[in-house]
Amino acid sequence: MPSSLDAEVIPLRGEPVGYSVAVVGLGTTGAHVVKQLLATEPDSRPARIGLVDKRPERTSAAIAAVRTANTAAGSRHRDDTAQVAVTTGRPHDPADLFHTSNVAILASDCGTHAALAIDALRSGCHVVSMSDNPDEIDDLLALDSLARHHERSLVVGAGMVPGLSCLLARFAGDQMDSVHAINVAKAGTAGPACARQHHRALKSTGRDWVGHRWEYRRGGSGRDLAWFPEPIGPRDCYRGALPSPILLQRQYPDARRISARVSATRRDRFTSRLPMLRKPHRDGGPGAARVEVRGRRDGAIETIVLAVAAFPSESAAAVSVEAALSVLAGMAPPGAQGLAAWSNPGVVLSELRRRGVAIFAYGDDRFDSKTG
Amino acid sequence: MLMLARRVVAALGFAGMTAALFRLRGQGGVAQQQGGWRELTDAELVGR
Repeated sequence: MPSSLDAEVIPLRGEPVGYSVAVVGLGTTGAHVVKQLLATEPDSRPARIGLVDKRPERTSAAIAAVRTANTAAGSRHRDDTAQVAVTTGRPHDPADLFHTSNVAILASDCGTHAALAIDALRSGCHVVSMSDNPDEIDDLLALDSLARHHERSLVVGAGMVPGLSCLLARFAGDQMDSVHAINVAKAGTAGPACARQHHRALKSTGRDWVGHRWEYRRGGSGRDLAWFPEPIGPRDCYRGALPSPILLQRQYPDARRISARVSATRRDRFTSRLPMLRKPHRDGGPGAARVEVRGRRDGAIETIVLAVAAFPSESAAAVSVEAALSVLAGMAPPGAQGLAAWSNPGVVLSELRRRGVAIFAYGDDRFDSKTG
Repeated sequence: MLMLARRVVAALGFAGMTAALFRLRGQGGVAQQQGGWRELTDAELVGR
């Protein structure tokens, strides 16, 4: 089956569009991805959403959400330009769906993204992966040459942390003449799959960029008190298998220290070596992400602290949808990269504000957009 | 016993006066109890 992209021109944002999005994985975050797509302004809304999940009830729920949105749009618009079509793909072989989609948002369980990304790229489809597993992030970044060969973008780690945290780090880094250190901290989880990954991360070895080389540190070590915006407030955070340093180091290879930590209670740390003792929450929010960037500006050492406090499932979905729209708008070059590599973090952050993700800065310093 | 009571009262009075002196004449002010975070505006994000 030929790629739909061969016959279509990918439209720019703000103009009438007719693009298709495949959403793979309809758990808590994937369901929010569909909602965020439907909440997009009518002139940027996809003409068709392709849905894939191994559990039929989740697919049915997503179809119902689209049907409800279409009914609401139909009452507001006399024509059917605001209507969104839906197709479903085969859970174990969504390649057919990729052939007819312009961009695929991967919100499935960690461990499945690399294979799906290969299928999608070979189908001529841009890919936005929401994985937060460091090993999988490595695998996805290794697909750079494949993505370039097919002249498609593979956005790696387009969630809350990494993802939104990468945008915040890049925005803060753009205010500096040089970046010396970046510390990322996160609190809260999205759905059950995210909670399981959080549990695994705490017991796994993490990677910190220290003194221009990688240092491997035990998960659950290195307690650090991070102060998030309300309602999260202060939380003890610890090292773990977190992918943020991997993505940020590619953008800031000269930084002396890049580290990431995740909030945890004593019980979380004590039970991290055991299987999960109880079923994860359907949504582990509210949560927060905090990025502290230290560097030199105008000859002085400065620290910029940016953060968000939101439900990780909702904010991650908003980031992935904005990433997909930006890719379709030609704002991302071909190849595999994280959001820290994007030269327009302020534009994307501004769009996220419109979707209800408030961006906070600590202190009274005002920022100048260098990317406007 | 009376001497002990007088000493206790004197000690409490001295402590109270010292605390009042620090409270009324101290220069440290009150530590920040909340805040510090502020929401970024579109003007800061994209220069609009």
